[in-house]
Amino acid sequence: MTIKKLLLAALLSGFAFGAAAADKPAEKAAEPAPPPSMGTEYTDAGADTCLMCHIEGGDFPVFAIFKTKHANRADKRTPFAGLQCEACHGPGKKHADAGGGPDGINSFESTSFLTPQQRNKFCLECHENSTRIGWHASTHDANNVACSDCHKIHAERDPVLATVTQPEVCYKCHRKERADFAKPSVHPVRFGKMSCSDCHSPHGSTSTGMLVKPTVNQTCYTCHAEKRGPFLWEHAPVAEDCTLCHHPHGSVNQARLKKNPPLLCQQCHSVAGHPAVAYTPAGLPGGSGAGQAFLLAGSCLNCHSQIHGSNHPSGAKLMR
Amino acid sequence: MKTSNQLLLLGMLSALSPAAAADGTIPAGVDISKWKCESCKFEKGTSGTVDVGAGSVSDKSAEFGQYNGLYEKGGYFIGDADVRSRGEDGAYWNLNASNLGLDTRSVDAEGGKQGSYKLRLKYDETPHRIWDGAQTPFSGAGGASLTLPAGFAAGTTGAMPLAGAMQSVDLYTQRNQLGVGASWVRSKEWEYGINVRHETREGNILRTGGAFFVNTAQLVDPVDYVTDQVDASASYSGKKFQLKLAYYGSKFSNGNHSLTWQDPYTPVNGETMGQLALPPDNQFHQIQASGGYQFGDKTRGSADIAFGRMTQNDNFLPSTLNATLAVPGLPGSSLNARAATLDANLKLSSAVTDKLRLSAAYVYSDRDNQTSQAAYPSVATDMFVGTARTNLPYSYTQDKLKLSADYRASARLRGSVGADFDTHKRSYQDVDKTSEDTLWGKLSSRVTDKIDLTLKLAQGERRFSGTYQVVPEITPPENPLLRRFNMANRTRETAGLRADFALMENVNFGLGVDSSDDKYSDSSIGLTSARDLSYNGDLTVAFSARTSMHLFANRQEIKSKQAGSQAFSSPDWFGETKDTIDFFGLGLKYVAIPDKLDIGADYGYTASRSEISVNNGASDPSFPNITTKLNSVKLYATYRMKENMSLLAGYWYERYDTRDWMSEGVGPATIPNVLTMGLQSPQYKVNVVRLALRYKF
Repeated sequence: MTIKKLLLAALLSGFAFGAAAADKPAEKAAEPAPPPSMGTEYTDAGADTCLMCHIEGGDFPVFAIFKTKHANRADKRTPFAGLQCEACHGPGKKHADAGGGPDGINSFESTSFLTPQQRNKFCLECHENSTRIGWHASTHDANNVACSDCHKIHAERDPVLATVTQPEVCYKCHRKERADFAKPSVHPVRFGKMSCSDCHSPHGSTSTGMLVKPTVNQTCYTCHAEKRGPFLWEHAPVAEDCTLCHHPHGSVNQARLKKNPPLLCQQCHSVAGHPAVAYTPAGLPGGSGAGQAFLLAGSCLNCHSQIHGSNHPSGAKLMR
Repeated sequence: MKTSNQLLLLGMLSALSPAAAADGTIPAGVDISKWKCESCKFEKGTSGTVDVGAGSVSDKSAEFGQYNGLYEKGGYFIGDADVRSRGEDGAYWNLNASNLGLDTRSVDAEGGKQGSYKLRLKYDETPHRIWDGAQTPFSGAGGASLTLPAGFAAGTTGAMPLAGAMQSVDLYTQRNQLGVGASWVRSKEWEYGINVRHETREGNILRTGGAFFVNTAQLVDPVDYVTDQVDASASYSGKKFQLKLAYYGSKFSNGNHSLTWQDPYTPVNGETMGQLALPPDNQFHQIQASGGYQFGDKTRGSADIAFGRMTQNDNFLPSTLNATLAVPGLPGSSLNARAATLDANLKLSSAVTDKLRLSAAYVYSDRDNQTSQAAYPSVATDMFVGTARTNLPYSYTQDKLKLSADYRASARLRGSVGADFDTHKRSYQDVDKTSEDTLWGKLSSRVTDKIDLTLKLAQGERRFSGTYQVVPEITPPENPLLRRFNMANRTRETAGLRADFALMENVNFGLGVDSSDDKYSDSSIGLTSARDLSYNGDLTVAFSARTSMHLFANRQEIKSKQAGSQAFSSPDWFGETKDTIDFFGLGLKYVAIPDKLDIGADYGYTASRSEISVNNGASDPSFPNITTKLNSVKLYATYRMKENMSLLAGYWYERYDTRDWMSEGVGPATIPNVLTMGLQSPQYKVNVVRLALRYKF
């Protein structure tokens, strides 16, 4: 495959350089500095130590934490009922004694010396339950996503938890999906009436695509229960997987279809007679040929309108 | 030396146990009695913001307002609120309300005592405006019976007395959902929760067709749906073991079980009315158990199993309304349909060393349609009694095994490889079993402190077992050369590249390419190839602490090829589609006067072009392009008049143009045998201005 070969060739040198460059700083230093590590001692005064530097309006503002559930001391499970800032950031004496800086502390920043898994461990100590039981080995975990890549802890309202602001958080990595939801036929994400987590479970799930339900169709039925049936006359791909015909994120075709009929239907239907006929531009209004009923308006659906299944005794052809 | 340091770090991380500290167990030797938290600004009392104002929409457009409530011309009320209260002993409540003046309104209230219990009330409205002013000669739109004026029926649409009969009807649905929920933290380990949602969905939608043999008409389908859903769970969170037991129930009810319509065409063989079955009432119940266990510091396992049951037992409609036909009786009064679902998975992951992680996951999914089969007398579009047809209750089973290894070669280089083995079994279909094996690899490198690269490649091969044969129960039969794309042999190759550059301290630039290629080399009829290629780029620049910009662009090309056979033998025509979609966005934010005036602008552009050709060698194969073009500009400003009072202003201009030969110029009488509602490609230019006062307290 040409594009993959090109990509591979163009990048191998870059990756090789990355690998070779890994230890360069250490080689050049006459006396290599010790690698950064977590502190082992707690501060003398807890949050009061931290807030001496992390003042309101400073470079590293933290005060919004006091508007969050993490700072509700009546809830004995929360950080501020115990080790305060250091419950999440780790023992802070080394960081404080150094006058700040990345060493000695879990900053939760992507620039931290800790790996995403190491950073996440602080969160998972309390939160590896309920929907996060399967976080390990989830697609996000496998791709080294840190909790703090999506969640903003020091915020009155975490943007990823609000329907209107959540998609922008997801789009930081899922750029193709940003473009999908700008297409003409979409679920109402860009209108602020739906969020990614209405369908997807970002903390891991059993299904392909990290869906909130075990299968694609079970997920779709949470909003489209009328298509669940089981019907007397099922349309096989419909009962199997809605995404065989629909693109859930967005499409340029009507009803988020992957392709417009009749070609969409003719990918799977070739019965002798009208399903097998080539419907060409001759069937357009003013054209010379027949076949308008199979090409225009709803195309195949002009007659087979029960495309999602029918419970009518005479509905075998999905026309009743 | 380096490795030992990292091991030491991991050891310390394990020993820290922040959860133990947070729940009152303070690490030995740590005295927090002097940790007064005097600088901590814990929140007390009630605070929030309330927005009140007015907006105006310049033009009526269902397309512009399809989901945002701004589909009518004229003014509207702006009402939003975000209020929070914090009391003693963890008591709290939050109230978020938005779009109170529109039928997109939403109110979300939550309260309780943190760490003890929580109550939640949510109300949400979501409109879906489809088309305003659709034209239909049928009376009774929105109901279960559509009738025509006396003497309307004719042989073709052109001969029907449309001029005096057409009525206007708006196509839309409105979802209103009311949800209540509660959760109770019984102890440090156990938490219980229940969430109940009641959703109504009302309106009229387009029924693409009600056919009488070769003649058909677009109808208005009544929507009067109610869906009730329940989620209940009990969760246990232990140090090493976590468990969740859950129940999910969903009940769907339809206020209309049939749509009856009068045949607008000259009656044939005694028929005058048709009847469609509307979506039947149905239920789904599922119980689920999920568990996770930590095997030491390095290995974790989790499992999940869910049993479900779908049922549907609506009374059958009669085989036909044509009393002149002698139709044998039905095998029962209802289907008594039931399908059992079983979904399970098992996952195991282990940090074998500080550099190597291994993962394995097995997923099983089964939909076992247990509905009885029977022969049903068949009436073809209320005109002719045909041969009886036997229903085919489709069942599906999927087994999937996923194995992967992730190796961190250095702080700058990481590689992953994996293999997926995916098997599908189907009943009553062309093949019984397909198996797809996919191998993938991924490299991530921080080439320098300013450049990150990620490359992922995957190749999958899907093969069906046994012979591909047409389903004998389906008549007339499909072309034996047809290979349905979800069961056909397929080679899938995907590639993705992402490059991120931190060009300067405040400038970040990213490029991405994603490609997916499907080849169905054993398919001569049906889909033969498909390709999806997209490029994207994004740039963020913080010009200063007061000015920032972000820009993103994406081009996507979706191509596919297929073949058909008019002669019901080897391929004699070929279809190609190519969709090209361009997307561009630009956003600017500027703090014009610090602590006083913030302004911003967003521009969005999406254009698509669909090229379709069908070549049978007899005529020009290319259709006119189907195009869409959306331009959107949003300007906004926040002016802080006083400490607790701000003025919010916004302007939104959007223009949308489409060309689509499927609907363009297709009026009710354009197609002799399809009575359409004349829906055309939507176009609009809409301006929206809004002004609101924000009171902060």
